[in-house]
Amino acid sequence: MAVPRTLQAIERRFLPADLRERLRDLSIADPGHGYDSFGLHADWVSAAAGLFTPLYERWFRVTSHGVENVPQQGGAVLAANHSGTIPIDAMMIWNDVLRHTSPPRVTRVVMDHFVNLLPAISILFGRCGAVGGSRGNFHELLERGELVGVFPEGLPAIGKPWSERYQLCEWREGHAEMAIRHGVPIVPIAVIGSEEQLPTLTRIESIKLFGLPYLPIPATPIPLPVHYHLWYGEPIPTHLDYSPTQADDGAVVREAAARVKASVQALIKRGLAEREGVFR
Amino acid sequence: MSRRVLVTGATTPLGVRFVQDLLADEQVGHVLALGVEDTPEGLPSSPKLTYAQSDLRRARHIRRLLGGPVAEHGIDTIVHTALHRSANDEGGSIHRLNVESTRLLLRLAAAAPQIKHFVYRSDAAVYRVRVSAPQVLREDHPLEHSPDAPQWVRDRVEADVVACTHMGLVDLRVMVLRCAEVFAPRMGSQLTDWVRARVSLRPVGFDPMVNLLSLGDASAALRAAVHSDAQAVINVPGADTLPLSALAQRHGRSCVTVPGPLMGPLYRLRTRRRSADFRYDLNAHRFHFSMVLDGRRAVDILGYRPSQRLSWPHP
Repeated sequence: MAVPRTLQAIERRFLPADLRERLRDLSIADPGHGYDSFGLHADWVSAAAGLFTPLYERWFRVTSHGVENVPQQGGAVLAANHSGTIPIDAMMIWNDVLRHTSPPRVTRVVMDHFVNLLPAISILFGRCGAVGGSRGNFHELLERGELVGVFPEGLPAIGKPWSERYQLCEWREGHAEMAIRHGVPIVPIAVIGSEEQLPTLTRIESIKLFGLPYLPIPATPIPLPVHYHLWYGEPIPTHLDYSPTQADDGAVVREAAARVKASVQALIKRGLAEREGVFR
Repeated sequence: MSRRVLVTGATTPLGVRFVQDLLADEQVGHVLALGVEDTPEGLPSSPKLTYAQSDLRRARHIRRLLGGPVAEHGIDTIVHTALHRSANDEGGSIHRLNVESTRLLLRLAAAAPQIKHFVYRSDAAVYRVRVSAPQVLREDHPLEHSPDAPQWVRDRVEADVVACTHMGLVDLRVMVLRCAEVFAPRMGSQLTDWVRARVSLRPVGFDPMVNLLSLGDASAALRAAVHSDAQAVINVPGADTLPLSALAQRHGRSCVTVPGPLMGPLYRLRTRRRSADFRYDLNAHRFHFSMVLDGRRAVDILGYRPSQRLSWPHP
């Protein structure tokens, strides 16, 4: 399916010329028809980068700190805090990494399964490199040396109450296990701004559309123009500190995941302390 | 050492291509081609080739085959590719061809001292495709054991399991090749029939990736299996991985999206009016979620890499 004309028009209108030029260097493991095995396509990446540009540059005015910590090549796991009712945090990280890596790298964001049940959204996200949250996909991508973006708090985090913003929910451990198994580092990321973008008013537990555990009711009809700050921490050298055989040791994996959580929490603390305000 | 090979399903397009490739292979001493037809249409004539007519649905035909031509020609390798192709046929007779023939061939082959290798051509349709499944499937992926699955799938799963359960337990090296969909006419390819219609329908909002295998690559993988001494289950991916919409486009077809719940009734109507083979209930999951076979084991064990792309009317 070619990129829809509307998206092409948005790309022409908003995608900065220098980024368009750099995206020509985008490398995809294409076995012959322009798509990788997961459905990633270079034209869709350009179109999505154009689509996200007004949000990235004007609405959320994303400021990036320490993005040089993202490896320019080879596999790595990017682990971030998660919130905001809709996954704008994932889109901003995806866009930020694309803009700050040379040649540009696509973050393969791991989504909850229900996203693949959403008509059209599943195509857009899939063509931009996102994948369903199965161990098999995670495993495959790291084996190919890709950047895999995860939110270890998972789906429960997107409906965090206002009073719990920037407090990390239960931190899952699968990302640490995969990083150890594949000998890749983990880059902790704190997303500042996202947890205030769309406060949840209430949630309707009885409505479970497309596999969502509940229907969140936001307090505002559109996301607030909060100032996003993306803080990338120093990579946790899981590839040096552990051997792949330790991926089967639950205690080691728990310890590695706790290190990632502590790093993200420290980055959040720093990010909140250094920002001038929610909207500034 | 030169192999002497029995090929079942030898009169299908894949069988014909495979027999031709075996005949050109200097390491193959003799080919016994098996088909249900009286005359072997499409098969070349060669002193290395013998054609035998046999109906694998009948147990006594299989017994006669193993006790007769197979023994006479000193066959040491059986390549079982025969599967009923039409998805709309169901019943005991189809099951006997798809499953019982595999079971009996394996049992008799295990008891025949000169037969050392058994290669079973399985199908990617045996894998369970769901929203939570990975998009690139390895050999240890769960199989489709749903009782609601059509016989076309259930038979393939059962035959695959029958072959797998013989591994290591009998004096026979068993290899199961789970092939991606062989995209060619008269091969029972659902997607070949899907693009045959002037307009190809897919569920609105979904455009999953599919992987297709050419006859040439399928034959190359089978040939590599004939020469291998390994015992394994191996995925055989094809060289073409693309979304459904691109597949229709490469065939010059319009790919129209319709609401998912209408897909089944519309294709049932088409089957009734045009005697088409495509069944939406058979394909519903893979028309929503991507499924591509991982080919690493095929590289490691067989040295097989997909290389022969399909030829597209509208590249």
